[in-house]
Amino acid sequence: MESKLSNLKEQIINKMNDVKTSADIEKIRVEFLGKKGKLIDILKNIKNVEASKRKEIGEKTNLLKVEVENLIESKKEELKEKEFENKIKNTEKIDITIPVNDKIGSLHPITIVQKELEDIFTSMGFTVEDGNEVETEYNNFEAVNVPKYHPARDMQDTFWLENGQLLKTQTSAAQNKIMLKYGAPLKAIFPGRCFRNEALDASHENTFFQMEGMMIDKNVSIANLIYFMKTLLSEVFKKDVEVRLRPGYFPFVEPGFELDIKCPYCSGKGCKVCKNGSWIELCPCGMIHPNVLKMGGIDPEEYSGFAFGLGLSRLAMMKYNINDLRALNSCDLRVLKQMNIK
Amino acid sequence: MYISINWIKDFVDLDDIDVENLIYKFTMSTAEVEGITKHGEDIQNVIVAQIVSVEDVENSKKLHKLIVNTGKEKLQVICGAPNVKPNAKVAFAQIGSIVQGQKIEKAILAGNESNGMCLSEKELGISDDHSGIIILDDNAKLGEDIKNIIPIDDIIYEVDNKSLTNRPDLWGHYGIAREIATITKRPLKPLDVEVLSIYNDLEKLDIGVEVDNDENPLCLRYSGMRVENVTKKQASWKMKVRLYYCGMRSINLLADMTNYIMLELGQPMHAFDQNVVDSVYVKTLKDNTKFTTLDGQERNLSKGTLMIWHKDEPVAIAGVMGGLASEIKDDTNSLFLESANFEAVNIRKTASKLDLRTDAAARYEKTLDPELTETAIARFIKLLKEEDNGVKITSSFTDVYIKRYPHITIHITKDYIDKSIGKTISTDEIISTLTNLAFVTKVEDNDITIDVPTFRATKDVSQKADIVEEIARIHGYDNITPQTNLWKVSPVKKDALRELEYSTKDLLATKYGMSEIHSYVWYNTELNQELGIKVKDNLKITNGIVKLDNTLRREMAPTILYAINNNLKYMQECKIFEIGRTFDYNFDGKNADEYKVLGIGLASFKESEKDLVFEAKSMIDNIVMVNKNLTVNYKNIEVIENNWMHPVNSFEILVNNISLGYISVLHPKIKETINAKTSVVIAELRIDLLGNMLKKDICYKEVSKYQTVNFDLSLIVDKAIKYETIESIIKSANLDYLIDFSLVDIYEQNALSNKKTFTIRFTIGSYTDTLTKEQIDAEREKVLNAFNLNGIYINE
Repeated sequence: MESKLSNLKEQIINKMNDVKTSADIEKIRVEFLGKKGKLIDILKNIKNVEASKRKEIGEKTNLLKVEVENLIESKKEELKEKEFENKIKNTEKIDITIPVNDKIGSLHPITIVQKELEDIFTSMGFTVEDGNEVETEYNNFEAVNVPKYHPARDMQDTFWLENGQLLKTQTSAAQNKIMLKYGAPLKAIFPGRCFRNEALDASHENTFFQMEGMMIDKNVSIANLIYFMKTLLSEVFKKDVEVRLRPGYFPFVEPGFELDIKCPYCSGKGCKVCKNGSWIELCPCGMIHPNVLKMGGIDPEEYSGFAFGLGLSRLAMMKYNINDLRALNSCDLRVLKQMNIK
Repeated sequence: MYISINWIKDFVDLDDIDVENLIYKFTMSTAEVEGITKHGEDIQNVIVAQIVSVEDVENSKKLHKLIVNTGKEKLQVICGAPNVKPNAKVAFAQIGSIVQGQKIEKAILAGNESNGMCLSEKELGISDDHSGIIILDDNAKLGEDIKNIIPIDDIIYEVDNKSLTNRPDLWGHYGIAREIATITKRPLKPLDVEVLSIYNDLEKLDIGVEVDNDENPLCLRYSGMRVENVTKKQASWKMKVRLYYCGMRSINLLADMTNYIMLELGQPMHAFDQNVVDSVYVKTLKDNTKFTTLDGQERNLSKGTLMIWHKDEPVAIAGVMGGLASEIKDDTNSLFLESANFEAVNIRKTASKLDLRTDAAARYEKTLDPELTETAIARFIKLLKEEDNGVKITSSFTDVYIKRYPHITIHITKDYIDKSIGKTISTDEIISTLTNLAFVTKVEDNDITIDVPTFRATKDVSQKADIVEEIARIHGYDNITPQTNLWKVSPVKKDALRELEYSTKDLLATKYGMSEIHSYVWYNTELNQELGIKVKDNLKITNGIVKLDNTLRREMAPTILYAINNNLKYMQECKIFEIGRTFDYNFDGKNADEYKVLGIGLASFKESEKDLVFEAKSMIDNIVMVNKNLTVNYKNIEVIENNWMHPVNSFEILVNNISLGYISVLHPKIKETINAKTSVVIAELRIDLLGNMLKKDICYKEVSKYQTVNFDLSLIVDKAIKYETIESIIKSANLDYLIDFSLVDIYEQNALSNKKTFTIRFTIGSYTDTLTKEQIDAEREKVLNAFNLNGIYINE
């Protein structure tokens, strides 16, 4: 009997070595551990073994059974591993360089620049306001200190409408409404589409975008304006910019300034963007005219403030190196598709 | 406006001052400079010479052979000018001299040697006249550098006119000189003028002014003086060259004189031929009248235009341009000199109506100081006498002064100035700046009382902020140290509509691969015709440069279609959107309504119209769900309002029962004009109305702990039956355990069949128990019954 057991063990090990598939294992399992398996058979017939050896044989057979079970288990795992290896070996190799048919959309460059600026301003505590595109003559001109027949109206060729309204020539058209809505102190920006009745060329458009801002509080000085504009523009261009103010005439501010920045692209050495001028005229600004404050219901003796305008179209052109203003309104996807969505 | 540095030097000593640096400082303190031109650098070693003899050149009709005496030598010169004559003194370019930047060399002309050139005014760069050579005064010294006789060397800088809009005082050199004197801290020389009181005993001129409005008269002041016995015809070289460099043409002495005074003082003047005009009356036209201005143009003047009259004849359009009939002619020897002040708005209206923006009108519309009329006449007489010492003044200074501007005094404190600028400025600096700019100041401790000079008091300077500007700009904005200020920062409230806009744009660009466009807010008439788009009438632009494209858009679709039409020339697919404004006008003269609308345009060769409609629907559903947590209902539009909409496949977008827009397949007629093979779908959504809607709260619903069961029903229905019918039947069945249902399939056996099959998957379950087989069967039975009642049966 003992020799039969060791013979069985030998058989099993030999068979195990020849195993190729999980079916082979199953065959071995059935042959030895199945209901009629050779090992089970021994256990079934244990009563026929002489009593003195019965216990020993039983234990040895059970031991062998466990041994075989373990063998089968590890063989199974071994086989599975091999199968995965084969599976992986036989997988189709993906060519990652094949272009995908994914549609990537685009946002308009103005939207991108406008959002960026709005985020900067809101982080500085400014509310973002909206103005109309069709405006009244009062809001566009009178309320910002440009009475009828004032020569300053020459500065802006206006699209007049048959009902006496106009297409707003400047975002300043929203100043009065915003002051009346919020009173002082006030920090607001108001981006929007503006219109000028001009012939089109690479640097003139009849439809363009501006962003205007107002900051009204007690004791706001010219020195504050310079500090603010410098900080703001450094955020916009993501680097420290040098600014200079020179006198500029805008009826709704007094004093009024033209703000120039040292070209942020060449640091003033001269390049395409600044047309080798090193300073770029960027932003008209000034201390809000007392008349404008008064018309907006704010007491100029108590409050002062500054206003500034940023040309969104101009900034978008600078940012993306666009040299023709007309590209922005072209609706041409060959142009616009280049603006990725962020 | 062009400024001559030579002219400025008449009034401010600029010795040892770097002019370019000065012009930079002018930009930084006064007004924008657009450019600098240096005259005379390209003319070197041109001298006075005399023509000794003139001979014709053989075989040439034009050329003359001259012998020219330079004082040192006699040279043969070939010259084509018609006005050569023996003994004439000329401007002569010798061999080696520089003319217009070119070196003069020996030349052979028509076979003859030419040793230099006699120059025209144009060649010298001092006028456009090239009709002949310059003939100099007989007393010019041979060999002398021409620059000693004609002031060719000058630096001219151009000031941006727009930046002088509010500064009537800077429309002449004297005003600019005052700025430069202040900037350089050098004294401004007083203007050298004739003392007019010495003529007080002479006869007064006949000047009358009609005053129709005491408050706001059209003519504020009219001053005149009569001058006779003018014998000189040409102005001096100094005057002629300065006029030319400053952009004017020399005409004759008297015309040049009036222009010179205008460029010097900013005061327009007019000289009438005394033989034609010996008295004036200022009044408006009572009827529309034809009138020929001195540029020879006949113009239609409308009733109410302010004119200068001589007896019953209008002789000039006040403040704009004189008439041809009374123009100074070359033989005029006596003149009626006008120096007047007209109301700015009226001049501006007249000039724009006539499209005649003369130098005079450009100055009057800035609101000139009426005090200037007298100064201008006094200066005119002074300079005229210098030009022609034989002139006789034959009238007293005659003056009709209708309206004076009120004297302006401003009270300000040093503290206010410091606070406004954000820097301490010394009282000395404040006072010296103001004094240099001709303000009169009085200081008492912290208080400063300031009298505004008349030439700044017409509208430019009226309040404290104006004084702060004067101090700050002369101090130099560059010299103000930036200063932070701790303003209160309060949290910024987000604007729901703005959030919606950005979120919509992001969604469409990132999820749907769409491109954002910006189109114009008016229709394009030509494209409407080309594409067959019919638009409803709307608010119009009255003065656009492109006359046809004057109607503002009422809908987004047309401008979206223009963009699709254009892009399909280059690509097979075009999916675009824009959030723009549309306008709604009732033709009642009242203000128009303005809406914010999302326009969507989908065009594709590959996808079907149905695919695109569902793509658009998915976009709208997503926008509304993501932002407002609301569901959208769609309804077939029975009667289409716009001809680009499809009569069958156009759908109204409804949220909370409010109509927000539409999705529509493009009408086949219009599609054919764009591209017959392309599927095109258009959608418009009132983003402003959606923005106003409240976001529905998300309400958590507990998940059942018990098992749910699914079963499918395949329902055979008529092809015309809409899915919403199925939905409403299911709802009407009032199932006890319905958790959800969804459409899993639509099957149409073939195109000819009039039936289709909707397969619906039902999910049922209970929150309290696991459903028994009986309960499940009962539910299935219940919903089937509901369908059967509506004549819908399942596919067994």
